[in-house]
Amino acid sequence: MHNRANGETSMEKTGMKMKKLTAPLVAVVVLALAAGCGGSGSSENNGGGGGNQGDGGGSKVLIGAGSTLVYPLLSQWEPDYADKDGITITYGAIGSGGGIEAITGRTVDFGASDAPLSSDQAAACNGCLQMPWALGATVVSYNVKGVDDHLKLTGQVVADMYTGKITSWNDPAIASLNPGVNLPDTKVTPVYRSDGSGDSYVFTSYLSSVSSDWKSQVGASTQPAFPTGTGAEKNSGVAAAIQSTDGAIGYVAISYIDADSLNAALLQNQAGNYPVPGLDTISAAAAAATEVQADGSIPLVNPPASAADAYPMSTYTYAIVPQKSDKASELKDFLTYAITDGQAFGKDLGFPEMPSSVIEHDKTEIAKIS
Amino acid sequence: MIAETPAPASTFRRRRPRFGDAGLRVLAGVAAIGSLLLVALLTYKVVDEAWPSIAQFGLSFLWSEDWNAVTGEFGARDLIWGTAFSSLVAVAIAAPVAIAIGLFLSELAPRRLRAPVGALVELLAAIPSVVLGLWGIIVLGPFLQQHIEPRLGDWLGFIPLFSGSPSNVGLLPAAIVLTIMIIPIVASISRELFLSVPGDLKQGSLALGSTRWEMVRNVAIPQVSAGLVAAVILGLARALGEAIAVSQVIGGGLNFSASVFQPADTLAGRIASQYQGSTSNLQTASLAYLAVILLAMSLIANITAQLIVRRIRQRMGGAH
Repeated sequence: MHNRANGETSMEKTGMKMKKLTAPLVAVVVLALAAGCGGSGSSENNGGGGGNQGDGGGSKVLIGAGSTLVYPLLSQWEPDYADKDGITITYGAIGSGGGIEAITGRTVDFGASDAPLSSDQAAACNGCLQMPWALGATVVSYNVKGVDDHLKLTGQVVADMYTGKITSWNDPAIASLNPGVNLPDTKVTPVYRSDGSGDSYVFTSYLSSVSSDWKSQVGASTQPAFPTGTGAEKNSGVAAAIQSTDGAIGYVAISYIDADSLNAALLQNQAGNYPVPGLDTISAAAAAATEVQADGSIPLVNPPASAADAYPMSTYTYAIVPQKSDKASELKDFLTYAITDGQAFGKDLGFPEMPSSVIEHDKTEIAKIS
Repeated sequence: MIAETPAPASTFRRRRPRFGDAGLRVLAGVAAIGSLLLVALLTYKVVDEAWPSIAQFGLSFLWSEDWNAVTGEFGARDLIWGTAFSSLVAVAIAAPVAIAIGLFLSELAPRRLRAPVGALVELLAAIPSVVLGLWGIIVLGPFLQQHIEPRLGDWLGFIPLFSGSPSNVGLLPAAIVLTIMIIPIVASISRELFLSVPGDLKQGSLALGSTRWEMVRNVAIPQVSAGLVAAVILGLARALGEAIAVSQVIGGGLNFSASVFQPADTLAGRIASQYQGSTSNLQTASLAYLAVILLAMSLIANITAQLIVRRIRQRMGGAH
């Protein structure tokens, strides 16, 4: 290589430079590949993280993952249940979507999701049971300078704000619902979840049930295609976006209203009332809607007018378990605890107790696990 | 071949380096083949995951604007725009700044300043992107919304790019966060490149009466121009694939807006935010399709860089 004619040395030099360059260029390819696929790779790892630890010998461990909404409740169950039955529960609050993926891959013993499985998800999960195990609610929140808590809104008005038909907070449609409230002409900035979310599902289910425009244009989904607005990740992101934007409207799980001192909008129910979201009004919704769907879900959104005090964006959050499990007896025991003794922890955390008919339904589902 | 010798001590002495050579060759070879294999398998897996979507939408996926999990219509147009715009703007701002930093640190700065400033620039590269994104949410976004975007709108509002109402999330903050992210990468490579220019060449140029600027323009930059292109492309690839910091400040917009003030999204950002909660197999496949596009974009950036480097090399070869 080095004993070439002098005439070629300049080429040789640049040739060497080429070689030096290939290293960074290879790095470019690898870097881009790694970055491009970070999303898909990491999600699989999330579920797998604790997956195999539970298989060790005699110690009884159940591993779960999913919904962040139900996490406060599970964190109360964990120590209490360990005392009572000696089974350790390890729960990763990685989000409903992650929970569904983890239980589909069987890297955990149970999953938890705020939205029921879609048909594709149910098929992929291959013999999973989903059963309601806690009650919660999604709440519309807003931040408008000069406007206090508990602004009244109808589903149609909220739908019009999210489709861009109502663009300012002093719109006559809002003013007529709130006589005496001094509304500024601040621009409406809708905020939605950019990741898949049970709250998005409840919110868009409610809007679909009250607004035919919404139903035909957008529909109900954990990841709807919102026609306008700003996306934010997770409940915390939406809460932060609402707090930092004058004129924002958004939706969060009920626990975030108190935690972040957000304003709660009062939504009109079928009876024409504006119930304050809370234990009693969520319970009222649960008492009015007990019909179990074929997929095991119980929709609570917008219950009939007979439930005069029902909060219209109430929801069940679900446990998702495989019908066939190596840890069937532990799972059955834990789920039974969750829907009976476990319910008592909910009151202080904003989770009302489930109606007895739903608990009976769950018991028959739990019996199917083997 | 090494001749056999009867003395055991000398055999021992001769064999040891031979094992070392073989070991090195195997180790290096396995590592090299392994990395190639990894790239091949990864590409195969991503394309395989994306296949249902590729089969359903074909190439029209590239220019379809829909992204609707409810109706099952997916397309990448707005995301390609968001990715390309934010990355290219970032590179356009970062490249001159970063090369200037590299020049300053290698040629112009007082010797005492070089080490500390260089270390600070490299420290900037070590900031985790999620922290940079947080700064984007807390500081940059509101600052742009209150001070920069209203003025841009007043002066340049007739251009669709700068129309619409100011907001604290959108393409503009995303491009600026990416700029800050890639400046240290390009700057530290540029500095190394300028330091690699032989001292006699620089001295010679100065001795012939060049000013410092003429020396930099006529000697230093041409010497390393191929390397600078590679450094800038490295920065571009970093910007193309960044998901976390971008999704923190870009606003996860689901609809196209020509204005850089409005929320938008990128390929990497959409994959990161939606893969876990994907509701249908088609949506999962479409997200993988986005990854395929991202791979292809990085590949195109690389090939372009290779071509530019080759052309520069030919031009320099011809000049001599």
